Amino acid sequence: MRLRRFRGKRPIAWLPVRTSRGRWLLVRLARAALAAWGIASLVFVVSRLLPGGPEQFALDGAGEKWGGASAGHVAQMQQAARQSFRHRLGLDEPIFYVTRSPAPAGWHWHGRHNQYHRWVVQLLHGGLGQSYRDGQPVGAALGRALAYTLPLTGSAAVLATGLALYLALYLAGAPGGRGRALVRTLLGGLQTMPLFLLALLLLLLLANPDGLNLVPAGQVPNAATSSLSQVLSYWGPRSLLPLLSLVLAVLPSLALPLAAALHHELGTDYATTARAKGLPISRILRRHALPNALIPLLTTLTELLPSLVAGTVVVEVVFALPGSGRLLAQAAATHDYPVVVAGVLLTALVRLLGLLLADVLYFTLDPRLRPLA
Amino acid sequence: MRALFKARRPVAYWLAISWLALIAGLGLLGPSLPLPYSSSTADLLAIATPPSAPHYLGTDALGRDVLAGLVAGARRLVSISLPATFLAAALGAVLGGAAGFWGNTRLRLPVAAAGGLLAAGWWALALPGQLLALLLALGSSLWLSLLLWQKTPRRQPTIALPVDSLVLGAGTLLGAVPRLIMLVALAAGPPFTTYQLLGLLVVVAWPEPARLVRAEMLRVRVQPFIEAAWASGLPPGRIWWHHALPAASQSLRSLVPLSLAGLIGLESSLAFLGIGQAPDAVSWGSLLAAARQEPSAWWVAAVPGLALLLTLLALQQVATAAKNR
Amino acid sequence: MRYYWLGSLLAFLTSACSTPSAEQHQASSPVHIRWARDPETLDPQTLSNQNAVDASNLLQLALLQNDFATGGYGPALVEALPRVQLLGDSLTLLDYHLRPQAAWDSGQPVLATDVDFTLKLMQCPNLPNEGARVQFSFIRQVRLDPTDARHFTFVCRGQATEFIVSSGDYPIISEAALDPGHTLRKLSLATLQDWPATRAPAPAVAALVRRYQQADPARHPEHLPGCGPYRLAAWDTDRQLIFQRKAHWWADALPAAPAVLQARPQQLIFTILPDDATAALALRRHEVDVYPQVPARIFRQLQASPTARQAFAFYTKSSYDLVTAGFNVRQPALRHKLTRQALSRLFDPAQLMVATQLGQGSRTVGLLPPGSPFYNDSLPLPTYAPTQAAALLRQAGWRRLADGAWHHPAVAAPLALVLRYRTDELTFTAVALQFQAAAAQLGIPVQLLPTEGSLLTSCLQSGDFDVYVRLIKGSSSGYNFAPILHTDAINHGNFTGFGRPDTDRLLEHIATEGNPRRKRLLLRRFQGLLQDEMPILPLFFVPYRLAVSRQLHHVIASSLKPGYAATALSWQAADSLATRAH
Repeated sequence: MRLRRFRGKRPIAWLPVRTSRGRWLLVRLARAALAAWGIASLVFVVSRLLPGGPEQFALDGAGEKWGGASAGHVAQMQQAARQSFRHRLGLDEPIFYVTRSPAPAGWHWHGRHNQYHRWVVQLLHGGLGQSYRDGQPVGAALGRALAYTLPLTGSAAVLATGLALYLALYLAGAPGGRGRALVRTLLGGLQTMPLFLLALLLLLLLANPDGLNLVPAGQVPNAATSSLSQVLSYWGPRSLLPLLSLVLAVLPSLALPLAAALHHELGTDYATTARAKGLPISRILRRHALPNALIPLLTTLTELLPSLVAGTVVVEVVFALPGSGRLLAQAAATHDYPVVVAGVLLTALVRLLGLLLADVLYFTLDPRLRPLA
Repeated sequence: MRALFKARRPVAYWLAISWLALIAGLGLLGPSLPLPYSSSTADLLAIATPPSAPHYLGTDALGRDVLAGLVAGARRLVSISLPATFLAAALGAVLGGAAGFWGNTRLRLPVAAAGGLLAAGWWALALPGQLLALLLALGSSLWLSLLLWQKTPRRQPTIALPVDSLVLGAGTLLGAVPRLIMLVALAAGPPFTTYQLLGLLVVVAWPEPARLVRAEMLRVRVQPFIEAAWASGLPPGRIWWHHALPAASQSLRSLVPLSLAGLIGLESSLAFLGIGQAPDAVSWGSLLAAARQEPSAWWVAAVPGLALLLTLLALQQVATAAKNR
Repeated sequence: MRYYWLGSLLAFLTSACSTPSAEQHQASSPVHIRWARDPETLDPQTLSNQNAVDASNLLQLALLQNDFATGGYGPALVEALPRVQLLGDSLTLLDYHLRPQAAWDSGQPVLATDVDFTLKLMQCPNLPNEGARVQFSFIRQVRLDPTDARHFTFVCRGQATEFIVSSGDYPIISEAALDPGHTLRKLSLATLQDWPATRAPAPAVAALVRRYQQADPARHPEHLPGCGPYRLAAWDTDRQLIFQRKAHWWADALPAAPAVLQARPQQLIFTILPDDATAALALRRHEVDVYPQVPARIFRQLQASPTARQAFAFYTKSSYDLVTAGFNVRQPALRHKLTRQALSRLFDPAQLMVATQLGQGSRTVGLLPPGSPFYNDSLPLPTYAPTQAAALLRQAGWRRLADGAWHHPAVAAPLALVLRYRTDELTFTAVALQFQAAAAQLGIPVQLLPTEGSLLTSCLQSGDFDVYVRLIKGSSSGYNFAPILHTDAINHGNFTGFGRPDTDRLLEHIATEGNPRRKRLLLRRFQGLLQDEMPILPLFFVPYRLAVSRQLHHVIASSLKPGYAATALSWQAADSLATRAH
C-alpha cells in the first residue's frame, strides 16, 4: 500500500498563531510584503536604467547661462558638474550586484558597493531615502501628502459604494421603465467622461463666480496658527467638489456590473422559488440575491484600493490639493527616483493587501470559496 | 450570427445595431470620404470656433476640424480600441480562469517542464549556450501540451505550477508600476506602430477582466455541474475550456463596454502625455484630452463624448440582447 | 416638514449665488500671488526654478538685482555697477563697493569677506551647488582691500561684457553664521576651484559642509541670516508660502531708496495653484490678487467678462523668451544652407502669433528683440512663402520627381523630416501642425514626434532629429550666443551642430566687445549671418500677460522674468499715507 502524501496545508508549528486560518493569513501577509519588495526592486532597477536622469532637470538652467569664458572650458565644467551631481546623489555607483556589459560580453559582480544594496539596507532600517529635488526625507513628504488624499478618497469610496448599492438595487428591481433607462443612460454617460473633464465641468459649473458659486471666498488657513474650526470651515465646502467628482467618476463601474449580476441572480432557481413563495422582490434582492452578486463588486472595490493612495492626480491638480497622486506624478516626471520607488512600494503593498482582503471577503460571503494555498 | 438578426426585437436593439454599423462603416471607409478638411490640418484662422459652416461641428484649440476628428476616431476605434478591448477581455478571461481553476497547487506539470522554463530563462538572459536552451524550451513545451490534454493521468514526478500567484503577481506588477514610469520607459524607444499600440493596450488592460473571471471561477468551480464533469472523467483541460470558463465569463458581458470606455480613457491619457501618438493621429480619446486646453469650447468634448456614449449604450444593448436570445 | 427642507435648500442656493465682491483692503493686508508650482528648495545655491529665485530675492540680496522698471540690473548691496578694467587680453577686474548701511539681521555689516565666503561655498563638494559652480567659476580671485572692508575686486578669467552683470547675480551668505572661526579664509578661491575631484576635501571644508547640511537651508532658510526685506513666516509644501516684512530693515534708512530696494507689502502670500482654469476662478473669487503669466485663452476669457474687466487690470509685455525652430545641420539632407532657407519659408510666424498668442508678442529677424539697440532693422522678417521655398529647393539641387518626393543626387533618401518638440505645449503643437501642412502641400512628409522633456534634451544633444521647435529663454543683456552656436558647445547646448571657425570667432568677438558702436556692427553682421545660414529660425517672442486687482497700485509689468515686481505693489489705502519717512 502506498501512503498518500498529505497535500493539504500543514500548519507551521512554530508560529505563535494557533488556528490554521490565522497561519494562512500570516503566510499571505508575509508573501505580500515580499512581493511588494520585489516589485519595488524591479522599479528601482528599471528607473535607473532610463535615459536622462535627475541632473537634466536640476542643471537645466545652468547650461544656458555661462560666464563668457572659453567655450571648451565651460563645456568641461558642465560635464564636471553633472558628474559631481551624480556622485553627490550616489548615482555613479553600479545599480545592482551584477550587471551585464555589452562588450566584453558578460556579467560582472560588484559586491556590496551598489545602489541597490544601499537602498535595501536603508529600507530595513525603516528609511525611505531623501528626495533628489529638495533633499527632504521621503517618508515625511509622503505622509503629509497622504494626510490630504486619504480622507478624500476614503470618504469617496464609502459614499460611492453606498450609492452604487442603492442604484443597483433600484435598477434590478424591475426590468424596464423610463426612470431606470434614464439612470442607465446617465451612468453610461458618466462612464464615458474622463475624470479631468468631469472635474473641470464641476469646477466651472459650481465654483464659478459668474454662475453658481458654492465655494465661499476665503483665505487658506495657515496650518500652524489657525484653529480646528477655522480649518474645517475652510476645507468643508472645498472638499465637496473633489468628493463629488471622485464619487461620480467611480460610480458607474461599481453600479452597472452589480446591477447586471443582480439581474442574473434573479433568473436563478432559488429566486424563482422565493417569488413563488410570495416574497416581495426588494426582499429577495437584498437578502438573497445580493450576497451572491457581491463577488464582482468586491473585486472592483479591492482593485480600487491602490488608486485611493496614488491615483487621483487629476482631481488634485484641478482642485489644487497637495496630495500623494500629484506628488508621485511630479516625481515620475522629474526622475526623482526615491519618491517614485517609495510610491511604488506603497501602491504595491496596498494592492496586495487588497487582494488578500478580497480573498478573505470571498470566504466570508461564500464558505465554499476556500482560499487557495 | 443568426441570433443577432432574429425578428421581434425591441426598437432600441435595431437602433443600436444601426449605430454600430454606422461607426464600423465610417471606420472602414474613412479615408475615402469626401470631407473638406483632414483631421490633422490646423486651420489657424479658425481657432476654437463653434459649430457653423464650413466647420459643421466646430474646431478645437488648435484649429482642427471636429467632424474630421470624429471620422478619424471612428477608424481608430474600429482598428485599435475595439480589438484591444476584446483581446484584453479574452486574454484576461483565459489567464484569470486558469488562475481561479487551478490555483497554486492543482496544475501539476512534469519535472521536464521546469527544465523547459529554466532553458527559456537561460536564453532570455543571454547566458552562453543560447541555441541549445531554445531547443530545450521548445521540446519541453511540446511535451507539456501533449500531456495536458490526456485523458488518463500518468504517474510521474510532478511539480506544481503556481498559476494563481503568477497571474496575480503579473497583474499587480502592471498595476503597481505608475503609468508615467511605464510610459516614459516606453517613450524612450521609437514611436508605436498600430500593432505595437494594440499590444500595449492589451497588456495594460488585461488584469481587470482577469481578476473578475478569477473571482467568478472560484464560485463556478464548486458548482454541481463541474463536480459532475470531474466525476464523468473528462480531462481537466476540457472541463476548464468547455464548461468552467464560459460560465465564469458571464460577468464580462457587462464589463466589455466599460473596459472600452476605460481604454478610450487610457488613450486620452496617452494623448495627454503625447506618448506613442503624434497630434496628426486623432482619436476620440485625444479629442477629449484636447478639450482641456480650451474648456469653454464645449463642442470639442461633447461631440466625441456623445459618440462614445452612444457606442457604449449600443454595445450594452447588443450584449443584453445576445444574452436574452 | 418637507417645506422646511425645501426652504433651507433654497436659502442655501440663493446665498451661494451671490457674487463675491472685493473687500476693501487695508495698507497692511497681504498681497496674494498665484504660483504654478512649489519652489521645492530655498537653498541659496540651488535655485532650480523661477519661483525659488523669486523667493530667494525676498529673503536674501545679491550684489545686483533685477530692476523691473528699467528692465536691467540695479545695484542692491553695492553702491553702483562695477568699474571694469581689462588686464591684458585674458583677465578682467571688476571693482565693487558695498553699501555702508547694508547689514545682516544680527546687526553685523555686510562685508567683502561675506562675498568671498559665498564664492568659496560654491566650490565645496557634497553641497547642491553644481549649477552655481558652472555659472560663477569665471571669478578666480577676490582681492580684498585692507583699508576698506567694503571694497573688493573680482579677478575674472576671460573678457566678456556679461561679466558686469553676471558677477553679482547670486545671493550673499553670511560668513559669521556658518564659519564663525573664519577657517575658510586660509584657502584661496582658486585653490578650491582647482581641487581635484578624487582628492578628499580639506578638513575645514568638510566641517563647513557638515554645518551647512545641518542648517538645512533648503527647507529652513531662516537658519541662515538674510539681508533681504522679508522673512519666511510659513511654508505649506505645495500649498502656500507666507513672507512677512521685517519691521526693521537696513534699506528703510536709506535716504533715496532705489527701485530694487523697495519693499512695500507687509505680507506676501504665494498660493500654489497648478491648474490654469482653477487659478482663473480663484482670481475671480478674489482669493488671489495677482495672476502672472496668464495663458492666452484665459486672458481672452477674462477680458471678455465685464465683471472681470471692472475688477482687474490687464497688462501685456513682450518678453525675452523666443520660440525658435532649429535645423540639424549634421543631417545630410540639411547640410546645404539653401535647403534650410527653403524650409524656413514654410513656417508662418505671423499667422502662428495671431493664432497662439492673440497677436501679442513680437517678431524678429535674428535672435535679438526688436527693442534692442543692436537690432538689425534692414533685414526682412521671415515670412511664409511656399513658392520661394520650392525655388530655393531647386536652387539647392533638389528635384521633384514623378512620385511627388524631392530627390537630391548627393542624398540617398528622398526629403522627409522628423520634427521633435516638447509635449503638452499648445504653442509648439500648433507650430508643428502648421509646418506639417505646409510641407505636405509641397510634397515633403514630416513626422511629428512630441517628446517628453528629459528625453527631448538627450535626443537633441545626440542629433536624433531633423527639425526641432523649442523656447529659448533670453535675458535683457543676452548677447552671448556661444552656448547655442559655438562649435565647442556641440554636445551640450548647440543642438543644431552649426559652427565654423569664422562664426566661432565672430561669436567670441561679440561676447568680449565693449565698445557699443563696434558691438552694433558685429551684431548686425551676426544677424545677417544667421538669416543666411539659417541654423535657427526665430519665430516670435512670447508675451508676458498679467492680471492684477485694480486696488493694487505701483504695478510694474516687466519683460524680465517673472513679469511683475512683487515688492513694489501696494494697496490703494496705503497711498493715502502722504508722509512716509522713507
